[in-house]
This record gives sequence, C-alpha cells and structure tokens, in this order.
Amino acid sequence: MAIDGFDNISKERLSALADGELDPAASTASCAAWSQDPQLRADWHAWHLIGDVLRSEDLATDPRHDRAFCARLRSRLNSEPVVLAPAALAGPFGSRLERPSHRGRWTAAGAVAAGFVLVVGTFAVVRPGESPPAQIARNDTAIAPSVTSAPAPEVSTQPVAVVADSKVIRDAQLERYLEAHKQFAGTSALGVPSAFLRSATVDSAAR
Amino acid sequence: MLLRAFVVLVSSWAAAAHGAPACSQIVVAASATAPSEMRAWLLRIHDAASRHNFQGTFVVSGGGNVASARIAHFCDGPNQYERIESLDGRQRRVYRHNDVVHTIWPANHVAMIEQRGMLSSFPALLQAGDDGIADWYEVRAEGSERVAGHEANVLAIRARAGLRYGYRLWADRASGLLLRAEVVGERGDILETSAFSDVVIGIRPQPESVLNEMRRLDGYRVVRPVLTPTRLEAEGWAMRQLAPGFRPVSCVSRQIEAAGDTGGEGAAPPVIQSIYSDGLTYVSVFIEPFRAARHAKPMFASIGATSTLSQRHGDWWVTIIGDTPPATLKIFAAALERRKP
Repeated sequence: MAIDGFDNISKERLSALADGELDPAASTASCAAWSQDPQLRADWHAWHLIGDVLRSEDLATDPRHDRAFCARLRSRLNSEPVVLAPAALAGPFGSRLERPSHRGRWTAAGAVAAGFVLVVGTFAVVRPGESPPAQIARNDTAIAPSVTSAPAPEVSTQPVAVVADSKVIRDAQLERYLEAHKQFAGTSALGVPSAFLRSATVDSAAR
Repeated sequence: MLLRAFVVLVSSWAAAAHGAPACSQIVVAASATAPSEMRAWLLRIHDAASRHNFQGTFVVSGGGNVASARIAHFCDGPNQYERIESLDGRQRRVYRHNDVVHTIWPANHVAMIEQRGMLSSFPALLQAGDDGIADWYEVRAEGSERVAGHEANVLAIRARAGLRYGYRLWADRASGLLLRAEVVGERGDILETSAFSDVVIGIRPQPESVLNEMRRLDGYRVVRPVLTPTRLEAEGWAMRQLAPGFRPVSCVSRQIEAAGDTGGEGAAPPVIQSIYSDGLTYVSVFIEPFRAARHAKPMFASIGATSTLSQRHGDWWVTIIGDTPPATLKIFAAALERRKP
C-alpha cells in the first residue's frame, strides 16, 4: 500500500501493520497507538475501505452505514443476555464411563470457565463506561472495540441476565426454589396433567 | 355458538371441542381467534387427559438438559391416578392420586407427600371463561403432523404482547391428548420441548397399582412440606403493579425443603411464596430474611424456558422464578414493596 505524506511514525507503522509487515513488538506498539488515537483508527478504516473498493466495487458503500450498523449491533448486544454454551451431559453417560479422574478434570475446567464467563458478564454491566476501553468504544469509527460501550439499560447494581444451562447455576439453594416453583405446575391452562408431567419428569435437584 | 363477522376458516375440530351438537362445523378466524375458541382448544386438551388411560415415555429437553420418564395415567370416574418413573439421573418415582402427590427417592429412603390443591383449580377458571388467556395469547391451527405414532393437530399459541413465551402444541386428533409441547422464545427459538416419544392411549386402567405403591411407605423417612396459606399484604408486602396479564393465584408461607434431602439443616426462617399466573404460565416470588452467609450473589439467569432472578431487597432476599422471559421477572422485582418494617 503506497501512501504519501506520513506525518508521523505511527501512520507508517500502521500501514506496515495493515500489510502484515510488522514484527510482534512493533505490532503491539502500533495496536496500542491505534486504540488511543481516533485519527489513526479513521485512517485504518479508510485504508481498508480503499483496499476493499480496489478489489471489488460492490464494497464501495457509505462507511456511515457500517458505523451505524456496528453502533446498533453494539447496543443490541449490550441489552442481550450473555449466552453460555450448554455443557455436555455429565450425568448418566458420564458415570457409565467410570473414569472419575478424567471426568473430574473436565468438570473442574467447565466450572472454572463458567465462573469466568459469569464474572465477565457481571463486570460488563456493573461498570459501564468507566474504564478506558469504554471511552475508546464511544469514540466512533466503526471498528472501535466494543467491550462495554453504550450505556447499559439496566440499573448498574442489578445482575446481568445470563442464558445458562443448569450446570452453570448449579446451586443447591436455587434448586430448592425451582422445586417449590414446580409444585404449582398445575397453575396453568395446560395444567393437569401436562404441566404436571413436565415438572415431574424433570428433577431439578438431581440435575 | 357465536359466529363472528370476520371468521373465515372452517374447523370441525373446534366444533367437537365445543361439543356443539347442531352444527358439526363452526367457523374460525385464521389469525385472530375468538376467546371462546382459545378456551375450547385448551379445555379439550385438559379433558383428554382426565378421560383417557394412557402409558408412554415422556421426554423433556431444554437448556442443555434432557430428562425422560415412564408414565402411566389412569382414570376412574372423577379420580385420577398417575405413576411417573424417572429414567435419567437418580431414581425417583412420583405417584399421584387426584391432588395427593407422593415423590419417592428409593436410594436414600425418602418420601415426600404433598397436597397440591392448585392441581384442580384451573379447569374451573377455563370453564367460567374468567381466565383472561385470550387477552394475552392467540391460537392458530396449523394443520396436522404425526407425533409418537399418532396423527396430531398442531396449534400455535402466540403471545399477543411481550413478557411471555409462545407455545406450539400437538394434540392427538382422536383423543385430544397433548402429545408434544414446545415453548417458543421471543425470537421464535425453541426453548423447551416436552413430548411423548411413544404412547399407548386407551389402555386398561389399573388404579390399584398406583394406590398400592402409595400405601407402601415402610422404611421411608416421610417428609410433608407444610404450606400455610397467607396473603402478601398480611406479611407486610405489596406488589405495586403486576406484569400485564398476570394475577395472583396463591400465596403461602413455607419451608424451602430440598426434595430428596436426607438431613435437615435446622429450622430456617419460613419463606413466603407468592404465585402469579397469566393463565398459561406462572411466576413464583419468594421472600425471606436476608442472610449474608447464604445470599452471597445476586443472580439473573435463564435455563431453557425458566428464568430466575435473585437479589437483595433491604433486609430481605427475593428470588423470582418464572417460565417467562427474564424481563417479566424484573417487573415483579421492581414492583415489590415493603410496607411494614
């Protein structure tokens, strides 16, 4: 990519980064500069747009559309529950395998991963717009990182919604409430016995 | 039978459900259904289960879990009998005779005996037309499909407003028995499926087999959860507003007993459980004194079709569980108010 009139070394580096010519240390420095300088981000975006258009005219769209799309996506993502992938069934299948040490390792790893995701999710809502990344995110250009970005609609002290499987919130206390809730399964027009069958089939305390 | 000006589609099925003697075919709106018709579909599903004897395997899957059970259901005049044996996880058997429910965990010799008065209350509401269901849901017939070897009518129940999930129901064409049900999320995603994988309808009733098992409790530690009826106001609480369409159906003071637990852990303070329903789904609000050791972290989560919210409310700990989108629980949480110190 040949661009005249670099006004500073950062742009030169950024251009080299775009061409994949920087060594790891220089890449890190360039990315750091990019994350702090809105002008550099605008350049980065413009250069890629130029490259895209050179390759295909179909890509010559108004960048404001991209930016608006990203902003909308970001705000929608913020108001979405955090989606956690369901864990594999460990119950009857796992026990049949009779490999306790192996199973134990996976269960522990899964629990750690799940805990981590929960913590991250909570963090993202509890502290919207306070950390430096959030400020970057607010500073336009469509490709700004969107770690916490737009103000979350929730009150900051409220916990974030998590879509989880029961392994994630395997909490004896919660299971008691689930049991108690299910005892009123007949409280539905689908009621007896359909809702009852449903609730009687699922043993929340044993999951 | 009310015929409305906008009706366009003919359905003989609903006519049978209404028990309309004169006209074998009544007219049904394709999209917006009359409230009476919504009730007719649901009543038929209700009645089918209380009039037929059936046996089969029932599978519930959602939120990354699968649970299945062997089920037998018998009717003897007004009496209902059920035997449910879990096939996954720890062994558990549930027996039901009308509103008495025994749950038995053979492994640790625990039996729980419950009186579930709520089990019989809804058909009456439906028959009186006082359920309000049609205000919040609309039903549409979607042809027929085969489920568990039976030809079934497919019903799509769509939520008219947010804050609740939709459903798809497969009802056996011959008997009306509900063979399969899906809970449909706000984006049309399937959150939970419960279905017979196989079922035989019209078997010989054997109520004695259920009653005999219910009498055989020797050697079991019997747990009887005590649910004391109360009112939220009497406990010093109020709901400023309810999520649209929901109304209070019951309020009890109780111990939260872990079903199947072998040992108690001392007398925990009682928990207030207030139950709300919109006719199809329901929400439980639990209130108890805050205990720092126990109530460490607030939580807001969904598993399959069930959402959970727990958080501190002054000196209290509030847990809300409902088979609704998480947003519905937030309305309940925000509307809960302490009236008495």
